[in-house]
Amino acid sequence: MITTITIFVPLLGAILMLLLPEEERPLRYAALAVAAVPLLLTLYIYLAYGSGLDAPSLTQDFTWIESLNMGYRVGLDGLGFGMFFLTALLTLIAVVASYDVRENLKQYFAILFIAEVGMLGVFASEDLILFYIFFEITLIPMYLLVGIWGDENRRQAAIKFFVYTFLGSTVMLAGFLAFGILAGTYAMEALSAGGGLGRTAQIAVAAPILFGLLVKVPAVPLHGWLLDVYVSSPISTNVVLSGILPKLGTYGLIKVAIPLLPQGVQPFLPYLAAFGVINIIYGAFVAFAQPDLKALVAYSSIGTLGFILLGAASGNAVGLNGAVLQQVTHGLYSALLFVLVGVIAARTGTRKIRELGGLAARMPWAGGLLALGAMAAMGLPGLAVFVSEFMSIMGGYDAYPVQGILASLGIVLSAMYLLYMLARVVFGPIETPAYEAVEDARPMEMAAAVPLAVLLVLFGVFPALLVSVQRPGVEAVISAIGGG
Amino acid sequence: MVTGQTFVALLPELVAVGFLILVLMVGVFFQRSVGVVAGLAALGALAVFGSAAGLLAAGFSGEFFGGGFVVDNFALYFKLIVAGSAFFAVLAAARWSGDTGDAPEYLTLILAVVLGSILVVSMRDLFGIFLAIELATIPSYAMVAFDRRRRESAEGGMKYLITGVVASSVLLYGIVLIYGVSGSALLGDVARTFSGSLSPVALLGLVLLLSGFAFKVSAAPFHFWTPDAYQGAPTSAAAFLSVAPKAALFAVLLRILLEGMPEARPTWTAVMAFLAILTMFVGNLAALRQRNVRRMLAYSSVAHSGYILAAFAALQGQGAGQAVEAVLIYSAAYAVMNLGAFLVIDLVGEDAKSFNGLFRTRPALAASMGVFMASLVGIPPFSGFWGKAWIIFSGAQSGSVLVYVVVGALVVNSVLSVPYYFGIIRNMFFEKPTLDAAEPPGGGALKASVYVLALLTALFFLLIVPISALAGGSGLG
Repeated sequence: MITTITIFVPLLGAILMLLLPEEERPLRYAALAVAAVPLLLTLYIYLAYGSGLDAPSLTQDFTWIESLNMGYRVGLDGLGFGMFFLTALLTLIAVVASYDVRENLKQYFAILFIAEVGMLGVFASEDLILFYIFFEITLIPMYLLVGIWGDENRRQAAIKFFVYTFLGSTVMLAGFLAFGILAGTYAMEALSAGGGLGRTAQIAVAAPILFGLLVKVPAVPLHGWLLDVYVSSPISTNVVLSGILPKLGTYGLIKVAIPLLPQGVQPFLPYLAAFGVINIIYGAFVAFAQPDLKALVAYSSIGTLGFILLGAASGNAVGLNGAVLQQVTHGLYSALLFVLVGVIAARTGTRKIRELGGLAARMPWAGGLLALGAMAAMGLPGLAVFVSEFMSIMGGYDAYPVQGILASLGIVLSAMYLLYMLARVVFGPIETPAYEAVEDARPMEMAAAVPLAVLLVLFGVFPALLVSVQRPGVEAVISAIGGG
Repeated sequence: MVTGQTFVALLPELVAVGFLILVLMVGVFFQRSVGVVAGLAALGALAVFGSAAGLLAAGFSGEFFGGGFVVDNFALYFKLIVAGSAFFAVLAAARWSGDTGDAPEYLTLILAVVLGSILVVSMRDLFGIFLAIELATIPSYAMVAFDRRRRESAEGGMKYLITGVVASSVLLYGIVLIYGVSGSALLGDVARTFSGSLSPVALLGLVLLLSGFAFKVSAAPFHFWTPDAYQGAPTSAAAFLSVAPKAALFAVLLRILLEGMPEARPTWTAVMAFLAILTMFVGNLAALRQRNVRRMLAYSSVAHSGYILAAFAALQGQGAGQAVEAVLIYSAAYAVMNLGAFLVIDLVGEDAKSFNGLFRTRPALAASMGVFMASLVGIPPFSGFWGKAWIIFSGAQSGSVLVYVVVGALVVNSVLSVPYYFGIIRNMFFEKPTLDAAEPPGGGALKASVYVLALLTALFFLLIVPISALAGGSGLG
């Protein structure tokens, strides 16, 4: 029950937003309060249930259409809990970071909260059709967030995003339907380890599902929609867009494709690992070439998503744990970097790396946090991303040595472009005289960035905080695919 | 034998006739007070809805007039759709028809179409079906041509009349041939003849019958009257005619095929499969090029006829029962979203550009239109998604390769339809307002209808369980 409440609180929040008068301050406070509720509920679940997420009070199973065996089935498990928490957190951060949204504020929050319903729902779904419905509920809100509040290029970006991901998810739905019809149910629990399907049928079903999920991630070369969308969005939308949305795809891999269709995905796994490596290396190279700080962060973000693919494809406990953890740590660091890019662009009036420089002197907080975020992105030990990337590579190396080695090369490449970026932006002399007078991050901006930075350090030092919760979920996946 | 039961069975029809006469007569005396007449007509639609709902709740069913008229859950369900759509059409028409000065006549026409449509879904006799279809169609010609101030209205009405008459004669010819082969027009007797291999005459009769229906439901290649008729017609007429009589026609076609020719299933599912594929593609490809929202919605209604025909193609194998459910669900789902989309035109305008910036000037209306457009594409959780999902569920269980192709075409067409529906969303949400921000006065009932329909579209999933329960007890499928 508490899971259902958490999922639908933002819907009530969205309605509340629309009913409130158009006054900026009360609206912002109300939105903060609404966004805080799911986060507090999630924290309560963490503290009260911790490693026993399969408690009946967290699940609901209501068969809705008997003849199709389709129902409202939700629950939390180790695989989804981290993302469930991250969704609640990043929505709150997005509300805090919405200082760059000035007009139609209440509609902005309402649409953001509707997207939150969909995202929370995906990470708690225990039914394929429900999973798809929540998956699609995020689509229109994201389209509107980019299209209404983005920059000049927003229309094209929004439509590209919509067409790509709608095509992907429609193909995925076709796979889900075929799966459900062949197996006679849509309940994920009953479908575990193939739901009685033979190997050929599993492969036929897995192919469209994988395609749809990889478009959402996006795996290179299905990433055509990504750059425009990331660059055109307002910063607060970026937080959610890069922190949560790609994980709908990767979570689908880990929660649906791999454990439910183990024999079906098996022939694709080496390619999945290869896709991961391509993401890592391609992302790093293209990020290197970006003149725009936001585009650099966007490519860095797709790059490190590759580790999730690699870890998920490994099929062993280390790799899967790494992948599940990387979903969360990736969200933390990419949200942090996008927030800081927003701060820097707002103060200096530019995002061009060439025009920036020496910000450490003028903006010690923003510059320092940017350095921290970049170091997290490089996978520096002591920060959360290190743990998850390391585990993904270890697991990936065990299963696919070539891909594993190439992926570790990716770490070196990402260190190169991130250090180069830091050297140009944060350190060095101040090149433009106008930046002599720029101010540091404001309190609201700090309020958006600092919690992310703190969590990056916290999970870097104590990864067990998350790993202990996710372990039972990962073990269930391992047993479904017949390993260890 | 006519007993008291017969009058109960005919209650919705009798109520419709009563209100039809009442509206016409009261209209003579209250020519100027549109409120009274429109209120009466709306009450009439509600009364028809209520009486059908009452019969449904009471579990009333039976055959009357020697088996030619049947009341079952299936028929009552479609009476609900027709009467419900009529209610919104009357609300939408009230102000506009008042401006024409002929409100009573226009509203009477709506009730006449209602009468024909609720009769047709209960008919089990081919000639009765034909007469009821004509009873619904002839007033609709007048409705399309009713706007005397616009030349397109007369043009649309004329085209609709000529093609409609041709369609009627084709349909009648088909019926006569079927009657000639089987010696009876009752569907039960027809079923005995349409077994085993079909004689050439019976086959010709079937093809002509299906072609006649294809004309009436605007299936390609017989759809060409649709864009002109709907573009010329008053908005309330286009909204109502694209929903209510069409649902009734699909319902009676389903009855003819399932009760009258179950043995000829391989033949007619194949015909339906080809019609469905053609209609979906023609409708969507033509809609892509439209700048006029009314015309765009007209082509969209062609495409949606194609989707429903896909459900007809899936009436075989394991999925047959689900396919009947799909027709039931789709008809209601389409009714709420399409009525809503048409009604918004009266509040905003028919040029796609007039939707620019609606989100900034009238956010609630823009959100409602956004819901209708997303629903027409088939995005969950809106009504259109459930309609399409049921067609896919049934098609996937049919076990026929041809139906798999149809289902594939349906999925492709859903993606194909994104640009034109989302073009409206883009204009509303992403563009700067071009119109003056001031809202046109009045239209309160119209706006309320739009909001109610948007809510119904969004919460449609709550209706699915009751609808599929109805389908199970309908006697069909």
